[in-house]
Amino acid sequence: MTMMLLNSASLRGGCCRHETLLQLLGPLLSHSKLYSSYRRPGAEPEKKTLWQNADFSFKKGFDVLKTQLSLLKEETQNHLVGPEGRPFSEYLLEQTRVLWQFRSQEDLNKWIISSDVEIGGKSEVYLKLSRNNQGALLYGTLNTEAPRDGETKYSGYCSMRAKPRLGSFRRKKYYDWSNFNSLYLRVRGDGRPWMVNIYTDPYFSHQKDDLYNYFMFTRGGPYWEEIKIPFSKFFLSSRGRVQDSQHPIWLDKISTLGFTIGDKVDGPFQLEIDFIGLLNDRAHTEEFAYEMYDKNTPV
Amino acid sequence: MNPQAKLISATSLFLGTSITISSNHWMMAWIGLEINTLAVLPLISKSHHPRAIEASTKYFLTQAAASTLLLFSSMTNAWFSGQWDITQLTHPMSCMLLTTAISIKLGLVPFHFWFPEVLQGSTMTTCLLLATVMKFPPITLFFLTSPSLNPTLLSLMAIASAALGGWMGLNQTQTRKVLAFSSIAHLGWMTIILIYNPNLTLTAFYLYTMTTSAIFFILNTTNTLKLSTMMTAWTKIPPLTTVFMLTLLSLAGLPPLTGFLPKWLIIQELTKQGLTIMATTITLLSLLGLFFYLRLAYCATITLPPNFINYTKQWQINKPTNILTTTLTTLSILLLPLSPMVFTVS
Repeated sequence: MTMMLLNSASLRGGCCRHETLLQLLGPLLSHSKLYSSYRRPGAEPEKKTLWQNADFSFKKGFDVLKTQLSLLKEETQNHLVGPEGRPFSEYLLEQTRVLWQFRSQEDLNKWIISSDVEIGGKSEVYLKLSRNNQGALLYGTLNTEAPRDGETKYSGYCSMRAKPRLGSFRRKKYYDWSNFNSLYLRVRGDGRPWMVNIYTDPYFSHQKDDLYNYFMFTRGGPYWEEIKIPFSKFFLSSRGRVQDSQHPIWLDKISTLGFTIGDKVDGPFQLEIDFIGLLNDRAHTEEFAYEMYDKNTPV
Repeated sequence: MNPQAKLISATSLFLGTSITISSNHWMMAWIGLEINTLAVLPLISKSHHPRAIEASTKYFLTQAAASTLLLFSSMTNAWFSGQWDITQLTHPMSCMLLTTAISIKLGLVPFHFWFPEVLQGSTMTTCLLLATVMKFPPITLFFLTSPSLNPTLLSLMAIASAALGGWMGLNQTQTRKVLAFSSIAHLGWMTIILIYNPNLTLTAFYLYTMTTSAIFFILNTTNTLKLSTMMTAWTKIPPLTTVFMLTLLSLAGLPPLTGFLPKWLIIQELTKQGLTIMATTITLLSLLGLFFYLRLAYCATITLPPNFINYTKQWQINKPTNILTTTLTTLSILLLPLSPMVFTVS
């Protein structure tokens, strides 16, 4: 610190006045992390900070504002039409709905793939359109070798999640699936078990890891499979740990859906998805599959 | 819920409300409001569902902030005027802070964001408490301080509440959120007349409480949490759905039913005060509310659902009807001929 001050004092007399401030502030800028600078193997090298990345262009800002205002206008018009932009009669009469179908690259762009590369693992995952643009093919290799960083014990997962919807001005938009009681998937798997995750974006951050999960066992044959998963079967977990107090999923504020494979078996995997939809199965009357009586009553 | 806990919550609610409405000192009013907030929190978070916990957290944060603001406004008034009497709130800044605090408590626009979410996260009975009982102490405080409040601010908030309550309620599919937005719109009507005739605010509040309690009881009996369930609710108790339709239209303010009375008197008072534009605006904005009440009435009673129901009448009903439903529905449909009493009694 004293060296910096002496340095800056000597430079101040000279011509490089603007550099003195930078030299004084230099240590402050590079050591301004609030957490350790250890980078996990597999994590990308540090990108530029958010404020360095920002492009303070007035014209660009104006264009973004115009886009957002047009989105807002569209939302207002949709509000007049009915819930979620569709007429009310459609809401009342519908018994099935197709949420995501994979027919073009645009449909694929609504999904994000990730794997344990984030924590330093070696699994690979790719997403592309399958033959004749008739579905999405999620394929890759699962590798359960744990990264050697001294603290990770398990590894080996790959997942595909839908991007959450954003409305005008980047506000979160939720799905309203309250009219339905089952998830309907047309898939062609390879026999490996998958997990379906539903994320209901909470308002407070202590619930941000809450996820509702259920399993999807694929058959592996050359024929397409139609899998129906009732929402009453989904159980609540947080950061991967199944919670003791279970609650049924509330379908009026859903953020995203995802598929994960993590069955601890090394090797290639493949899942072809034609479409993901919703179904109101009138024969399914179960409200919640798990017992909800109080488990800790004193005798 | 544990019966002792329920008893403590219920008595605390009653205690808090009584303390606030009968107080002369701001401190007592604040104490009553805090007791009310704390008493209703276990009722909202009873089921421990993540959404119920979210609702109770939101409720606590907003109500605590509003109570603090209320206390701050009374303290600034005490600093400037040297006394803590509720009816003697004279300093303009204190009045503005108080208006803000009470509108946060009530859920007036622009402080309404917590209300639909909190109602959606709680059970139907707790919703009833939140929409009726919890509104009573803040409205009493408004009634007591009405001579010194800022008319512009109140009118702006009232019209915005009527507008937003109608607009946002249009596309709701969950019944509790629909009733939340209807509550916001009705609060707009109550607030607009506060300066000119506070008795009408209280009249409007009482009639709104009666009608909305009837609606909540009916929805609780048929366990209707979303509009698609409402379509098949007629099989449970057919006469109840007929009465439900009439009660909904009363809430909307249609003439031969009770709900027309507060709206009529408020429009008359506003016109007498020379505020015809305001009266017209708020009347036109309540048409938005009428649209979604009619839609609910259509779903519940007038249309037959496209769903396949293989019975015309369920012979076994799991939930017995609350005994108050009959009284409240009768009163909320048939009370309009008693309107001359309003002039003789008040």
